[in-house]
Amino acid sequence: MNEIYRPPLWPFLVIGFVSLIWIIPLFGIVAISLRPESETLQGWWRIDEFTLTFDAWRKVWINYPLWDAFVNSVLIAGLSALGSVLLAPMGGYCYQFLNFPGRRLTFLLLVNAFVIPNQVLIIPLFTLWREVGLIDNIFSVIIPFVALSMAWAVFLVKNYLTDFPRSLIEAAQIDGCGHIRTFFSVVLPNALTPMAAVGILQFMWTWNSLLLPMLFLRENIPLPVLLTKIKGTYEPNWDQVAVATIITTIVPLAVFLYFQKYFAAGASNQSGQKG
Amino acid sequence: MATIALQNLVKRFGATEVLHSIDLNVEDGEFIVFVGPSGCGKSTTLRMIAGLESVSGGHILIGDRDVSKLVPRERNISMVFQDYALYPHMSVRKNLGFGLKVAGTPRAEIDRKVGEAAEILGLSPLLERKPRQLSGGQRQRVAMGRAIVRSPDVYLFDEPLSNLDAKLRTQMRAEIKKLHRRVGNTVIYVTHDQVEAMTMADRIVVMRDGNIEQVGKPEALYARPNNTFVATFIGSPPMNLIRGTVGSKDGVPVVAVSDNLVLPVPEDLVDRATQNQSVDLGFRPDICSPVGHELSSDGRKVTLSLTIDHIETLGAETMLTTLVDGKPVLSKMFNPRSVSRNDNLDFVLAVDQCHLFDADTGQTLRDPA
Repeated sequence: MNEIYRPPLWPFLVIGFVSLIWIIPLFGIVAISLRPESETLQGWWRIDEFTLTFDAWRKVWINYPLWDAFVNSVLIAGLSALGSVLLAPMGGYCYQFLNFPGRRLTFLLLVNAFVIPNQVLIIPLFTLWREVGLIDNIFSVIIPFVALSMAWAVFLVKNYLTDFPRSLIEAAQIDGCGHIRTFFSVVLPNALTPMAAVGILQFMWTWNSLLLPMLFLRENIPLPVLLTKIKGTYEPNWDQVAVATIITTIVPLAVFLYFQKYFAAGASNQSGQKG
Repeated sequence: MATIALQNLVKRFGATEVLHSIDLNVEDGEFIVFVGPSGCGKSTTLRMIAGLESVSGGHILIGDRDVSKLVPRERNISMVFQDYALYPHMSVRKNLGFGLKVAGTPRAEIDRKVGEAAEILGLSPLLERKPRQLSGGQRQRVAMGRAIVRSPDVYLFDEPLSNLDAKLRTQMRAEIKKLHRRVGNTVIYVTHDQVEAMTMADRIVVMRDGNIEQVGKPEALYARPNNTFVATFIGSPPMNLIRGTVGSKDGVPVVAVSDNLVLPVPEDLVDRATQNQSVDLGFRPDICSPVGHELSSDGRKVTLSLTIDHIETLGAETMLTTLVDGKPVLSKMFNPRSVSRNDNLDFVLAVDQCHLFDADTGQTLRDPA
């Protein structure tokens, strides 16, 4: 191979080193989940004594409501993602293609909501949910999750639609569509890329979130909240924590791996122009 | 089928007025072409007729309905876009039938009409393909098919051929004309290509800076341009214009271009040209040819001795650029013979077929067509 085309070695070394920092703890968690806690307490990296056991994998399902938490996590993250995926393109369409009074100002306000941290909302939301009796209802976290996501999600979809051929919208109008029909029949089928992006990001962020579920939910807790409870005050339960951690991690990982092709799909529209 | 009337049509974008009180009547079944340079307002006018742009002033009538305030779907029009605007996620069949489906047409009728349109346009074998699997010309045909299935009152074409290569463009020009003869509906067609305008139009509307400069049949626009803009815009290559002053020589009214170039005023304009008036003398390259290589024509002729500056061989004829008073003047040599740059030739100019335009206003001294 020509000398010029040989890639330099150092990026591989740097990336390899950084990857190790992330991968080693994952190995650790798997190792912890598969051996007795007594061995782990001497250091999970020690291999002079290794007893393979699935004890923790069995115990954690019995001792803790792991399945219920899993279902709650799926419901919360799934419904939050669905809400964002349905609403964000509508917002994006309105801000990109409709002219209405206050369009710029409201868009600016919406996007600026991005800077509002969750913590600021805790007290007002808590009192509100208590008044309407929504404490310990999963919608007490789904509603703020969807609302907070609008800031970045609408922005993301609108940016994607900037490149969307306006002539397609106009062709739909000529063909007799109103805005709703144009949106559902023409824009949405050609905006799967930003919808997938919004869905994945929202799913992963809500799946991993801890603060709001911990404060607003009592019994219907999702996995991250359960994780904090498995580690008791007097017994570390490292092995069971490891199992719960693996279960908590595996879903967003699978979702990401499956949907990542949409990230790579690019934003090209093929309405008939020559490429 | 319907007539179209534009009455005092005005368009403003913010404080900028881009269309200044346009008036136009289009006959039922007529093929009208809007032509003009970029930014002349032709596409804006078309989009206003379509309902894609709001009307800032005046009225648009389709048939006897005032559609100025109606949304596109209530105007019973269809439009072919420059980039075709085919729905990428739908097959050709669905693209063609979408408008009918939105209108709530029964399934069987959609199938029948789509089938008919596909038959007319030769799209039947392509019905299950997606737009990205089609060539440029096929996409163009689908876009036309989408327009005809709905049997609208008016077809609007917005520079539909500008994305095609030259050969395909010529072919599609003929197909669009054929289609028009077949369906017979009113067509408004926008282009910046004057050849398209000349070859397709029943009548041409020449626009500039948001105004209509002239409306007329292609041959009338070519033969009787109302002003220097139309004279130079219509016809390829454009009309030659030489600045001069009206005077008289031996009692005959003449246009003095320079001290040694004096040309007689065309016969029919003798009474209209006033002494010392500054004018632009206009003539097409085909009435100024080397002696022995000209077209036969009526009227007086003068012979000019000119030096060739540039030669373009086109085959059946050759374009010669000569310099008159230092400015390039195009001339057409029919049945060409071999010539070289800097050759000095005698050219014959059919003076009675020349045009005179007022140099200040650019308007013709003849009665406007």
